Amino acid sequence: MEEQTLRYLRGRFGDHYRRSELTPPPFAHEREWGYVPWTEGPGETYVRHKSLLDLGELSDFLARERPRHVYFSAGRYENPSATTMGGKNWRRSDLIFDLDADHLPSAEPDDSYGEMLAKCKDALLRLLDFLETDFAFDDLTVVFSGGRGYHVHVRDEGIQHLQRDARREIVDYVRGIGLDPGSLIRTEMRGNVTARVLPTDGGWGRRVHQRLLAFVDELEALDEADALARLQELDGIGKGRAETVYGAIKRNRAAIEEGNMEAGGVGIRTLVDSLVTEVVEAQNAPIDEPVSTDTNRLIRLPGSIHGGSGLAVKRIDRDAIDEFDPLADAVPETFRKHDIAVEVTDCGRVELDGDSFTLQEGELSVPESLGVFLMCRGRAEKGQE
Amino acid sequence: MKPLHARYPFLAAAREAVETADVDLAGVVAREQPVVQRAMDRLEGALYDGTVGDVHRRPRVELLSYPVARVLVSLVDEHVLTRKYARAEAQTAYDRFTEELATDDPLQSTDTEHLTLDALLQEFDLARAARETPEGYRVAVGTYLEHAADQRDDEWRLVNRDLQDGEVPLSEEELLELLRQAVTHRIEDGLPFDVPEPIAVELSAEVESLREQLSDLDLTRDIDTVVPERFPPCMKYLLDQVQKGEHLEHHSRFAIAAFLTTIGMNTDEIVELFQVNPGFGEEATRYQVDHIRGATSPTEYSPPSCATMQSYGDCVNMDDICEDVIEESHPLNYYEHRLEQADDEELTDWRERQSESKS
Ligand code: SF4
Repeated sequence: MEEQTLRYLRGRFGDHYRRSELTPPPFAHEREWGYVPWTEGPGETYVRHKSLLDLGELSDFLARERPRHVYFSAGRYENPSATTMGGKNWRRSDLIFDLDADHLPSAEPDDSYGEMLAKCKDALLRLLDFLETDFAFDDLTVVFSGGRGYHVHVRDEGIQHLQRDARREIVDYVRGIGLDPGSLIRTEMRGNVTARVLPTDGGWGRRVHQRLLAFVDELEALDEADALARLQELDGIGKGRAETVYGAIKRNRAAIEEGNMEAGGVGIRTLVDSLVTEVVEAQNAPIDEPVSTDTNRLIRLPGSIHGGSGLAVKRIDRDAIDEFDPLADAVPETFRKHDIAVEVTDCGRVELDGDSFTLQEGELSVPESLGVFLMCRGRAEKGQE
Repeated sequence: MKPLHARYPFLAAAREAVETADVDLAGVVAREQPVVQRAMDRLEGALYDGTVGDVHRRPRVELLSYPVARVLVSLVDEHVLTRKYARAEAQTAYDRFTEELATDDPLQSTDTEHLTLDALLQEFDLARAARETPEGYRVAVGTYLEHAADQRDDEWRLVNRDLQDGEVPLSEEELLELLRQAVTHRIEDGLPFDVPEPIAVELSAEVESLREQLSDLDLTRDIDTVVPERFPPCMKYLLDQVQKGEHLEHHSRFAIAAFLTTIGMNTDEIVELFQVNPGFGEEATRYQVDHIRGATSPTEYSPPSCATMQSYGDCVNMDDICEDVIEESHPLNYYEHRLEQADDEELTDWRERQSESKS
């Protein structure tokens, strides 16, 4: 990045911070703060181990320093500015989830930025389903990261003191790691006989059971021959087992609805086994594991600007997630006012703020939001006005 | 001093009792040999049978032996001892309270000399987090994880529980096991601590004896030799399955990864050994192996014993050595025996073979 580009961006980030109100995270003074200043050349300087006492009032600091990236810690400490973790004296920590396009199994290398972010949002909705339905967390903050995905900050009291190993259990739960089909089906005493049941009202069992019922619906919609053929497509189910399962569905669907796994014999349990893999693949939330297990993680400040995109790191209201369009809604208002001159170094198609542009190399006048976006991403330098 | 406190010396009330009695610990270790002896019993019990032994007939001796045992653990300052000791205290407490709660004597419920389930739940801040339901109990997920996250069995893993509305359903037996974990954590908490010099001097003979016993027990196994041909049949089989790319259940993966870690392999080497099959996802393996190894030191956990292997159906192709030499004790014993039998020249470490074939 050329020096004039850098000076321009820094100046405009400063204008943005002077004009906008920023809500700091709760207990901001107990957290560690860090930032990356604008520096020329390769490699970035990472300033960390700062407390708000060192930085001063947050909005003053941002307007004065105009950093390229700003972070605060998930953890809260007795001495947030100590340079060792021992010296900081950890007290508690929010639980952070990071969904990044880089970690999405569904992302393709030639996805556009917009497509990538859309896939990330699907994963976000799956994650929220776990956090809200299974975990019943109620202090959730959903944030567009300004880059390639979304963050969720969980601040419920119940998770604040959890250590790494406990947090990893939460990660494994939402990713469906270690799910054991064998232990999903429980053996219960019913009167004086034992019966195998699939739990219907909680955990992954509930998800698998719902999928099972959908599959049963699918079978019931077919005629007998097709239904039997469909069943035999599954591993481990031959003609005999298919008939038992089909018979059980016809005779006693209510039992399957209750999670009774005796009615369809071995066949129904084989069926459940094969659905488990499918359900995990379809419903798990591919979060970035190390972020969630790290109780000292630094995370981007909502309300700041991401120096690698020029987009705002933005809190999103729960009921606004569906309509949220990062490439329009995260464009800072400050950059929407006029056009600027840039010199495009990396040409091609770009989508931003509801428009799509095909850029040629060389000097160009573009909306400032697009100019900032390109310069932050290293695809343009500031041009002569 | 109440018998209840002597039976459950980790209770806050027991600690207060010791504090208010204003006992001078330096004086106790210097003059009250029965207390020191009982403290040693606690620790030796922990080492040899996983409990802290029977209650001493004098409550004072019993109660004071607990802080003295903690002092000894701190002086020895070996992770294995701390862990074994904490588990043993918790196991003994668990045995006592399960028995006490099972004797359904209505007279006892009003008797303050007995522990009630409510009192136990209160003690560990579980009263608010746990509630009774017609099927058993439900425990808030944060509290559940606080106490269950270091349980090794699959069934305790959150992913296999019926988590619903932020609560994990548990049976009464499971709730009691969770309490046992809570006791373990309380005992471990703050261990080891700094011991004042006069007390340390007074206990030097006991500390010396504990150190010797620890080294005789060889709990810090240091095999560090990888010769797959000499693995016990169960591990050979599991390794073979992995290399063929067969899906292993969690307990089986845990068994093989824990075994390989204990004989000195690191995550990279395990991933490499596993990866004979090209379809096997390296990331997933690495994640799982790291997960099994945890962020902890290699002595933190140990691979399953033969009994555990058998209960999971992982003990396969048992042979004469299993039956007659190691008497179905531990796969590591099998491996050690087979290594001892071989001449050194016969043993080429798998890792050396790898570097040879690469260069
Ligand atoms: S007896 Fe022990 S060592 Fe032998 S195969 Fe079974 S589990 Fe392995």
